[in-house]
Amino acid sequence: MDRLPRGRHGLSPEFVARNQRERLITGLTEVLFEVGYQRTTVSLIGQRASVSKSDFYKHFESKDDCFFAAYDEAVERIRESVLAACGKYTKAQWPERVRAGVESLLSTLAADPALASISLVEGLRAGRGVYDRYQAAVESFVVYLCDGAPEAPAGGEVPEATDEAVVGGIASLLGRRVLAGEAEQIGQLLPEVLEFALTPYLGTVEARRIISAG
Amino acid sequence: MNPKRPELPREFVASHKRRRMIDAIAELSAERGYEATKIAAVVRRAGVARKTLYDNFDGKEDLFLAALDAGFGEMRERVEAACMETDAVWQKKVETALGAFLEFVAERPALARACLVEALSATPTSAGRYDAALRGYVELLQRSTPAETRLPDTIEETLVGGVAWIINQQIRRGAAAEAVELLPELSEFILSPYQGVAEIGSIPQSESDSTVPDSST
Repeated sequence: MDRLPRGRHGLSPEFVARNQRERLITGLTEVLFEVGYQRTTVSLIGQRASVSKSDFYKHFESKDDCFFAAYDEAVERIRESVLAACGKYTKAQWPERVRAGVESLLSTLAADPALASISLVEGLRAGRGVYDRYQAAVESFVVYLCDGAPEAPAGGEVPEATDEAVVGGIASLLGRRVLAGEAEQIGQLLPEVLEFALTPYLGTVEARRIISAG
Repeated sequence: MNPKRPELPREFVASHKRRRMIDAIAELSAERGYEATKIAAVVRRAGVARKTLYDNFDGKEDLFLAALDAGFGEMRERVEAACMETDAVWQKKVETALGAFLEFVAERPALARACLVEALSATPTSAGRYDAALRGYVELLQRSTPAETRLPDTIEETLVGGVAWIINQQIRRGAAAEAVELLPELSEFILSPYQGVAEIGSIPQSESDSTVPDSST
């Protein structure tokens, strides 16, 4: 995000403030991706965002405060794109909906490795405050998966822990790939991630049929 | 009266102290989190001199990593012992191994929390230890399952990650003691994808060849 012109520019103070805040969040996300949580400092964030240190403290109390805001924003961006993709299908089209959601999750992360890193890796590295957010974020995605999910293939019920294990398992896999520096290739995982997500509900045969039909 | 206290061998005392410091940091980080755990508190809990701690470890992180190594080591030993002790079919072996893992969580809640919860967020090195342990279990699962029901590697990684996540949640909920109750659900979660692949294997080739991804992928 470009800095605003200096001096008289006729922009409202609210606009300037919002723009600065957004730049700081973007700045933190980028710096974090490059140097990791521990070496990310307020001055590095300020430099990247072209915002002075004193202006930084007008928006955030501390590095962590800025981190929390950036983390929440990252999760919301992912959520929006997943929900927009799912929203093209009705509840009755559950497999297609899951497919669209997973596809959009993977492509959103692959397109923006810094976003992938803050949401899936640095979120866990930055201490408990953010870890709680990570956990809440993962849990919040469980609902999207279960909504409209069919009964287990054999007619029985899908065990209670399965929904959580599927979402947590995907988050764990993606986090490990991001950590390995493979964020940009995450899109290639689509068939496997989808098979993993659909199998408990549809059985392997049906899951693979849907994946190859896509 | 105890006129002469029998002397314990020096190595015994030293390793016992080491053990106490490891247990202390596991307990304290389980109670208040790694970040908030202070060396002073560890020393007090373990009943050792501050100097003893620094004679044995470089500092807090080094001690915490030693606790993780002890925890992951014990976990792995239990799981492998469980694999060895049954000659049953592979599904039963996987279930027995999973059961041994859950017993570890229930019986060693502080170490389990250090390894499966705190390690993730404590330091980059501790997160690396967690990651390595997870990878080790992915490999173990791959070795334990027959070649004809091979799944893509990614799925095994996700299965192990999914189990770790459930246990992580269980521990954070303060319910480590009941972890063993999750055995039926979790073993079904792990085994059902293999069962599905085995069923596909029995379908005539003409019906299945378009739906089964090439095994090289």
